[in-house]
Amino acid sequence: MRRTGTLILMAMAAGLLPAQQVLAPTPEQVGSTRGQDVGDYNITNSFEFGYRFATVFGNDGLFRSDINFGNGLRVLGSSLTVDSKDGHGRYFDELLLTTMGLGNDPYESVMLRIRKNRLYRYDMMWRENQFYDPGVVISGGEHLMNTTRLLQDHDLTILPDNRIVQFDLGYSRNTLTGPGLTSAEEFDTSSTAFPAFTNIRQQYNDYRAGATLHFAGFTFLVRRTWEYFKQDTVDSLSAPEGSTVPGDPSVLQTFARTQPFHGSNGAWLGTLFTNRKHWAVNGRANYASGKGDFALNEMATGVNRFGAEANREILVDGDAQRPTLSSDLNLSFFPTAKFTIVNHTSASNIRIDGNSFYTEYDMSTNTLTLLQFDFLGVRTVSNSTDLHYNLMKWFGVYGGYTFSDRQIRLEEAFNLPGVANGSGSSLYPQESTLSAVSGGLRLQPIKPWTVNLEGEVGHASGALTPVSDRNYHTLGGRTQYRTKQLQLGATYREVYNENAPLSFTSYSSRSRQAGASASWGFNRWLSLDTSYTKLHLDTVGGLQFFAPARETGFDSIFVSNIHAANAGVRFAIGRRADLFAGYTITKDTGDGRPTAAPAGATGAAALLDSVQTFPLTYESPMARVSVRITPKLRWNAAWQYYGYNEQFQLFAYYENYHAHTGFTSLLWSF
Amino acid sequence: MYSESMFEGPRSKKRVSRKVLVRGAALFAALYAATLTATAQTPPAPSGFVGSNACKTCHADVWASFYKNPHYQALAAGDRPPDQTGCESCHGPGQAHVAAHGGKTTIGHAFSTMTPKETMEVCLTCHAKDLQKMNIRRSEHTLNGVTCTNCHSIHHSPSAKFLLAKTRSETCYACHASVRAQFEMPSKHRVNEGFMDCWDCHNPHGTFTATWRMATRPPMVEQSAFNDEACVKCHEDRRGPFVYEHPPTVIEGCERCHYPHGSMNGRLLRKPVEFTLCLECHNGGARGTRLAGVDLTTSDHNLLDPKYQRCTTCHVRIHGSNADGLFLR
Repeated sequence: MRRTGTLILMAMAAGLLPAQQVLAPTPEQVGSTRGQDVGDYNITNSFEFGYRFATVFGNDGLFRSDINFGNGLRVLGSSLTVDSKDGHGRYFDELLLTTMGLGNDPYESVMLRIRKNRLYRYDMMWRENQFYDPGVVISGGEHLMNTTRLLQDHDLTILPDNRIVQFDLGYSRNTLTGPGLTSAEEFDTSSTAFPAFTNIRQQYNDYRAGATLHFAGFTFLVRRTWEYFKQDTVDSLSAPEGSTVPGDPSVLQTFARTQPFHGSNGAWLGTLFTNRKHWAVNGRANYASGKGDFALNEMATGVNRFGAEANREILVDGDAQRPTLSSDLNLSFFPTAKFTIVNHTSASNIRIDGNSFYTEYDMSTNTLTLLQFDFLGVRTVSNSTDLHYNLMKWFGVYGGYTFSDRQIRLEEAFNLPGVANGSGSSLYPQESTLSAVSGGLRLQPIKPWTVNLEGEVGHASGALTPVSDRNYHTLGGRTQYRTKQLQLGATYREVYNENAPLSFTSYSSRSRQAGASASWGFNRWLSLDTSYTKLHLDTVGGLQFFAPARETGFDSIFVSNIHAANAGVRFAIGRRADLFAGYTITKDTGDGRPTAAPAGATGAAALLDSVQTFPLTYESPMARVSVRITPKLRWNAAWQYYGYNEQFQLFAYYENYHAHTGFTSLLWSF
Repeated sequence: MYSESMFEGPRSKKRVSRKVLVRGAALFAALYAATLTATAQTPPAPSGFVGSNACKTCHADVWASFYKNPHYQALAAGDRPPDQTGCESCHGPGQAHVAAHGGKTTIGHAFSTMTPKETMEVCLTCHAKDLQKMNIRRSEHTLNGVTCTNCHSIHHSPSAKFLLAKTRSETCYACHASVRAQFEMPSKHRVNEGFMDCWDCHNPHGTFTATWRMATRPPMVEQSAFNDEACVKCHEDRRGPFVYEHPPTVIEGCERCHYPHGSMNGRLLRKPVEFTLCLECHNGGARGTRLAGVDLTTSDHNLLDPKYQRCTTCHVRIHGSNADGLFLR
């Protein structure tokens, strides 16, 4: 029996390993027979410790932004499970602890679950991402320091299996800290923007408590959430910064900006649910109140673009509110076992209003005092009905209709305290509607083969932006052939938003995706996995801009043709070793042009030609080997290459890089 | 100009009294006792059930590790009626199966022979009450015949949680190969790296109507607790509230400018060059929250000057600002 379990585990591993495409910790399935009994518990464990390396050539900033692997020792991954064998453990019945990347990988995580049947369940997720933002190009880009986002979620459910009542408590924390780059446009609105360092400090703490009550076939849930947030980011300049624009004498000699923003969000969630033989109802209402108080103090001294000494101080303070309410009601009917009707009604209301008191001083003289009041309200009501009918076991169809109505109300009011009659307000209401019809079918001619076809046609009036969906349709299809050893699939989907004639207010986009994939688990020592996807996008819209005179005769055109392929093969040499090789490539061939802009093109025409397509190749081959030293100990080594190659320069600035990364590690598992 | 008290949240400063704690504990105890009473009054078993002990005789491989399965809880409880316990809670009464010495046709619920809807209904017998599954009947997965056992493997899951049929995102990639391609682009969310999972943003069991765009159904994107798009669950600093909102962010959602999965362009942007993205709306056309149209860039913005080609170099607070209507600070 134990041997059967092992074989099943290994067979599963054979099917899973090839799919792994990023040089992450070695999948633990390569371990030998899992689990040891200790008393009434069964324990499984794996622990992978090793050294990771990275060598980078070319643009280090973009590599850090895209990949960010570095050198050093790591606990690449670990997993511990402890399960009670009879479901009556003294303190817990299940303990699950997994980690990834601990010890300075850019992506680190810890997941913990502890559960005692009928009494409690605790889930914890801790994640840290150290990411690198090369910042504004004008700064020369690279400060070589990471910004850190730390996320943690704790959820405790009391009486999780109870059929009458359950309680849940939760806490989440989200912080963003570390250095970054920003920019400041000083002295007037036509000046150069100077790069500045920013010390990011943001913190969000979220507490929640709720209860679920099951009564008379109905389930009621109520949950209260409190969130408190604060942003205390400070921007500064470490040394005088001169303009990089030729002929511009501007210099920023001193600069400091503090901008605290503190506030809270409180939310109530209530749901009601029941599921009967011929009908089901569920509804939800969610109210959230958001509010924050802010202040900004910005001071700069230096030389302005006319060569004169200049200074400026800006003081702003105020508050903003954002109460939102959303509610949904699902009514489901099952007249027969084959037929389902679902009607969904939803309403949401978002109101955002605030005031901002702005004062600006130039050479200690008050140049501007402005009090601005803004309100943005969005009210949306929608109703949709879906009909789903399984005519036969191998054939089902569905269809649906959706109608939405959205009203937007924007109010802008201001007051200039130093100006007689210096106040005014503007009101901009807008209404949009959407009607959409959708449908599809599912075929299963033989058991392992399924075919799905779907489509949707919609029309929206009063779209908010030129690029919003107006007259659109989607068409899609998917076919899959699945057996235990072989999986074949092909998909196609197009989304067209076509609006004519072309003008500043009409915009058209055509997106097509086609792909095929295959997975073959030949046996427990050989498996293959591969996929290919073609992503096409072309867009066109009217353009109006100054260069330097007003230009209206150009269109915004963009063409992208991305070919993405992925392949992996896993080969096991008995129980002694596992080999894996994989390759991914993502290549945008653009529209096929050899140069960004045609020879001889000048001015605005050359500029717009040069941004219509952006051919680029990003590829990443990798290999991994895992060798068994003892039944509980394995040695692993892996290598992954990253190559980023732009065909055209973006603003005469190449970001190309290539890098070799990898690790060697020991995996202890039982 | 401002005081420290402006930044204090509405935290309650009332101290929880001992009396409240005692009452809370008493209520909890009463509810727990009521639960035990209710379980003791379970109805008699329907006919045809033989109990899980009969199953493990032949299905020893499944039984051997079943204590690690979350479904084992009901069996361990020992006080549930047979139709809610062990193998027969999902597979139905096994008497005929035992009498026939096996065979798929003799099992009440042989999932490999059932339609997607039949499979889902069996699972919903217990799981329908979960908040996460309230929209499963109208989800795109259900409409297209994707059912529970397509993504979950009850007896042979390699996943640490959720009994997934494959590990983490591989579960989704089995069908969504184009999404895998997007996560392999240079600028992407770190899903393949293991830092995130698809269900950080999506609920594969279906979601409520979005509060952004035109209340359409973005592909099963889960709202945050505050009715916002899933993006701000992590990128909370983009949520505000701001005095000066960038209306498309709130009304149309982040996808108006960004690809959420991955992009060949920096910062997940839809276009490689910023001004091409911004000018598609800011061209003076008669759309937008201002009836006269989205503002045309001003005449001093000579697009041939490189500094005006990188809009967010100056408009640094493009997602929303409290201090400047032009998002300059």
